[in-house]
Amino acid sequence: MPLGNFASLIHFLPELAVTATILLLVVVHVAGKNRQSAAPALLSLAGVGAALLLAALQPASAGRSLFEGMVALDGFAIFFKALTALATIVVIFMSMDSGELAGRSQAEYYIFLLSVLLGMFLLTASTDIVMLYLSLELVSIPSYLLAGYLKGRESSTEAAMKYVVYGATASGVMIYGFSLLYGLTGTTQIGEIGRALATGDAPLPVLLAAVMVTVGFGFKIAAVPFHMWSPDVYEGAPTPITAFLSVGPKAAGFAVLVRFFYTVFASPDVAAGVWKISSRVDWTLLFGVLSAVTMSVGNLVAVNQTNVKRLLAYSSIAHAGYMLMGFVLLTPAGLQAILFYLVVYLFMNLGAFYVVILVANGTRSENISDYSGLGSRAPFAAVSLAIFLFALTGIPPFSGFIGKVYLFAEVINRGVYWLAVVAALNSVVSLYYYARIVKVMFLEDPKDSTELPVPLFPRSVLCFLAIPTLLLGVYWEPVARVAANSVKLLAF
Amino acid sequence: MMEPTAYLLLSGILFGIGVAGVVARKNALIILMSVEIMLNAVNVAFIAVGSHLGDPTGSIFAFMVMTVAAAEAAVGLAILIAIYRLKETIDITELSVLKW
Amino acid sequence: MEPILFIIFGAIAVGGAIMVVTRKHPMSSALYLILTLFAVAALFVLRQAHFLAAIQVIVYAGAVMVLFIFVIMLINVPENKLPMERLTGLRLLGVVAAGFLILESAILARRFAMPAGSTADAGSVQAVGRALFTDYLLAFEITSVLLLAAVIGAIALAKRKI
Repeated sequence: MPLGNFASLIHFLPELAVTATILLLVVVHVAGKNRQSAAPALLSLAGVGAALLLAALQPASAGRSLFEGMVALDGFAIFFKALTALATIVVIFMSMDSGELAGRSQAEYYIFLLSVLLGMFLLTASTDIVMLYLSLELVSIPSYLLAGYLKGRESSTEAAMKYVVYGATASGVMIYGFSLLYGLTGTTQIGEIGRALATGDAPLPVLLAAVMVTVGFGFKIAAVPFHMWSPDVYEGAPTPITAFLSVGPKAAGFAVLVRFFYTVFASPDVAAGVWKISSRVDWTLLFGVLSAVTMSVGNLVAVNQTNVKRLLAYSSIAHAGYMLMGFVLLTPAGLQAILFYLVVYLFMNLGAFYVVILVANGTRSENISDYSGLGSRAPFAAVSLAIFLFALTGIPPFSGFIGKVYLFAEVINRGVYWLAVVAALNSVVSLYYYARIVKVMFLEDPKDSTELPVPLFPRSVLCFLAIPTLLLGVYWEPVARVAANSVKLLAF
Repeated sequence: MMEPTAYLLLSGILFGIGVAGVVARKNALIILMSVEIMLNAVNVAFIAVGSHLGDPTGSIFAFMVMTVAAAEAAVGLAILIAIYRLKETIDITELSVLKW
Repeated sequence: MEPILFIIFGAIAVGGAIMVVTRKHPMSSALYLILTLFAVAALFVLRQAHFLAAIQVIVYAGAVMVLFIFVIMLINVPENKLPMERLTGLRLLGVVAAGFLILESAILARRFAMPAGSTADAGSVQAVGRALFTDYLLAFEITSVLLLAAVIGAIALAKRKI
């Protein structure tokens, strides 16, 4: 029985904290004289920190439906709230250090960033397609603005324009799919849609709706062939935003993909411990192929890149492909592997982007050739970048390896060998281009041998990102347990 | 009242025209307008189904789509103005600092 | 009566939409788009969705299209600097995609299995208002955050200097 609007407020504290921070930022922006002061950043840190704390304190055991069935409060939603809030905190640290954003008005930037965070909170919890659509747009529209925040730099404005055109089209296609689902079932609650589709008999419209919805979600997680926007946006956007988009909205996209498809097109078979596809849409093969194509395209195109940001953009496409492997299996263990991988991916990917920012602050360049000799110019940054890159490759003993083991183990366990083979080949390809950066950093002579100073504060943030990347490679049990618990409640 | 079938067909036709506009045109302004056509097509479907079922949800959904369309138009047009100031063009294929 | 009006307004909507995507000058497109929006509003009235019909005219045809026309006038691209549109592979693809979508929606419309109908009041101001402020209150509130972000963003990006 869903809680009413007023009774739900007490379970809605993280979202309220973020909303209050957004409103305070507006006040600060209007009242403040100094546009470049650090006040908005610190205020956002406090707000997101409070939201993270409040989300962590929410009781994971109680699966509740809030606001007359608009959003759910379950372990799955809480997991993603914590994950996206953590990513946002790291991104705020990055933004404070970023040379690109220095000298620009700060408050608006954080208003957009926190709006995206609020959108992600709601997106991962939505159980009604009206809410789902709105929160997806709340993630998208401020993201367009963030991508174009470096006004006056052509690449940034262009990135925003491309992002708007692709994004608006993708969400238009998705909403058309929603209208088909609403027409077929007469309800907007995803649970009820699932039940109605299980008994209904209209395979063609349902299939079409599933494909159209996939376009919208595929756009958010940047799965091939809906990835065209991502390299350009990732290259043109301010680097902290690139890092943010490659982790936060991508994680939220996975959350909504899992919640929507598992609730609408499958039903849990508790006795066998798996999900069964209940409507006529057999999406496992479809997504299996999507996963294989996504990782292959991402890795193969990454090989030729000369710009580090663009390379990391393609690598993040490839990682979406790896994570999709867990999605196609219809088992709780597969979903648990996705969640675990997202945690690991958060640390390693944000870490890699952080080093890119620090290097760009010193050298004003994002070209791989300018990383030559970084090992002697800024040993701390170079060593941590090497850690993050090897973790992204998935080499033991780094945490990326454990994440991949979980994904591969489940794929092999379920006998989908072809996908495991494709993924293994892809990992080999990815080793080539990640190792190339490491080689340039440590084995090539620097063009300019002046030392690149890395101040204490970025150093400590890098440590904060590098330690989990290493630690989760040897002691991953607690995180894996949390991931397993978070998936359990999804069945309802 | 009529069955909603005809409205759904109309909605599909409008949606197809909108998609064609987005894919085929180069003028960014017209692409944004084509997106508006797509969203209107969706609204026709929502209203047709909603009134057939006697369910206000159809109207609510269409209302939300309109809100989002307004926000998207405002943001899209602001970005377009920013681009025009920088490059003096609204041709989407000429945005080539980044590979398209 | 409804079928006749449906055909008239449906034809206006489709005709306007075709003109929007085929005109060279964005201003003509914008004016045809307003025509389409009005025709769609008339279709809403036919479906007894009075509230949405009013919103369509006031907010969509009124505010949003004024914004479009305002921007077209503001940037005022000279005739000879409008993008040259040629028949390219992409363009052909667009037309093919549209044809495919229309064909498929025709098939769909025939095979659509809709739940049983009802004559309950669905589109009046009372019905929509009641649903909006009870079941969909959260969604309604979230639109305010969305619009706030969009307003601030539009000002921030269109302003000459941040």
